[in-house]
Amino acid sequence: MASADKPINTDVPEKDVFALHFLQSLSNLRRQNTFNSPEKTNDRVKKIKKAAYVSMARAAGGTSRLWSRALLRRAAKETNKVVRFSRRKKRVTWLRRRSNRRDPVEEEEKEAERLRNLVPGGGAMETSKLIEETAYYIKCLSMQVKVMQCLVDGLSPK
Amino acid sequence: MDPTGVSGARSNGGGATREATGLESLHLGDEFRQDNVGGGFTALLELPPTQAVKLLHFADSPSSSSQAATVTGIVPPLHHSYETLTFPSNSALLMERAARFSGETTTSSVPSTSSVKTEPADETNSSQAAVNNRSGKRKDSDKKTEILKKKKNKSSEENEKLPYVHVRARRGQATDSHSLAERARREKINARMKLLQELVPGCDKIQGTALVLDEIINHVQSLQRQVEMLSMRLASVNPRIDFNLDTILGSENGSLMDGSFSGTAMQVVWPHQVIETEQSYHQRQLQQPQQWPFDVLNQRAWGREEDQVHGNDSANLHPNQVKMEL
Repeated sequence: MASADKPINTDVPEKDVFALHFLQSLSNLRRQNTFNSPEKTNDRVKKIKKAAYVSMARAAGGTSRLWSRALLRRAAKETNKVVRFSRRKKRVTWLRRRSNRRDPVEEEEKEAERLRNLVPGGGAMETSKLIEETAYYIKCLSMQVKVMQCLVDGLSPK
Repeated sequence: MDPTGVSGARSNGGGATREATGLESLHLGDEFRQDNVGGGFTALLELPPTQAVKLLHFADSPSSSSQAATVTGIVPPLHHSYETLTFPSNSALLMERAARFSGETTTSSVPSTSSVKTEPADETNSSQAAVNNRSGKRKDSDKKTEILKKKKNKSSEENEKLPYVHVRARRGQATDSHSLAERARREKINARMKLLQELVPGCDKIQGTALVLDEIINHVQSLQRQVEMLSMRLASVNPRIDFNLDTILGSENGSLMDGSFSGTAMQVVWPHQVIETEQSYHQRQLQQPQQWPFDVLNQRAWGREEDQVHGNDSANLHPNQVKMEL
């Protein structure tokens, strides 16, 4: 009954993978002609932010992680693209989402609720999986932050 | 006593009261318990003689710690597993077996469980085959002598011999299948929580899962806010650096493939590249004919980008061409 815990793998790809993806998405953005108009900075910010998240999701392993999947799906919805997942995973997450609805009774579940709201795709995971995904998410986020920080530092005027 | 009754889900055995003498006997059924009021010796007799001798030996050997009380369960003769009996009075000799109780969590259980945890490590070695776990219902009324430990590993190694799982539950916890599953789940969650704790800086000192979770949530939120702020800064910086981005992308090749990919190296290298002129950039590229594992990927990527930026800047044809050669 007590299954041995398989070693939890939280290795994140190196920083250059993240950097690569982010720069690619950035250069994609710049290709758009409306991008560099100085007025609509808000739009630009939003686009850059979205590009950052999407590139992070792709760098972190595409659709093999739940949160990256949810991120990509969310992004794709806005742009009306279709993200292709393996059908089995889709069904599993859907079922899990339904069975997760009724749980916030315990004390700990309330905390997990907050975490679910933060981590993308959190509603579809069980608590233990949620924690694992959060660990990976935190690693990826910090990696992305480092990349962006380097970029900004490199590009800002001396 | 039937084996099926012994296994897994047993109903809560009511408020079974312990004998005042401190004798502990495993319930195998209420009637059995009553039979055993006198002592563990009658139960001992049921065991095969070799096992009994082993038990006696074992009972003598373990070091005396005031809190250690051993639990023994009596294996029905059908099963070949060994069991140890609980002996009365001498708390030092006994190991406690999990008992099911309804509401009798005693407060002393908490400190004692932790101290006993180190013990099983010794005792499992000494009494490897001799000690079996068995799920059963026990009432812990004797606070001094009873300590429950969890030995899931023991149960798993006996699984091949026996048809059901032997589990030693913690003190004051049930042993039926539901709570076992619950406990397994809890363990998983705690293990992963520990992982998270190491990840988030400053979480090691905090005790208690609620606070740790708070800290983690704060960390995630701060990271997300950082991303947002950095993207704002990038957006503001961006229009200025049309031409610079190419050099960044080009010099990216060199900086990425430098030995260490650590953050400091990255940070040091990148500002460096920006102020490079095109000349020095060329020279640097030519001087570094490295074979990069990323080579194919980069070629493709930079090639693509080079096409894109062509429209933007004609001034940067040179670095682009150099990139193509890579």
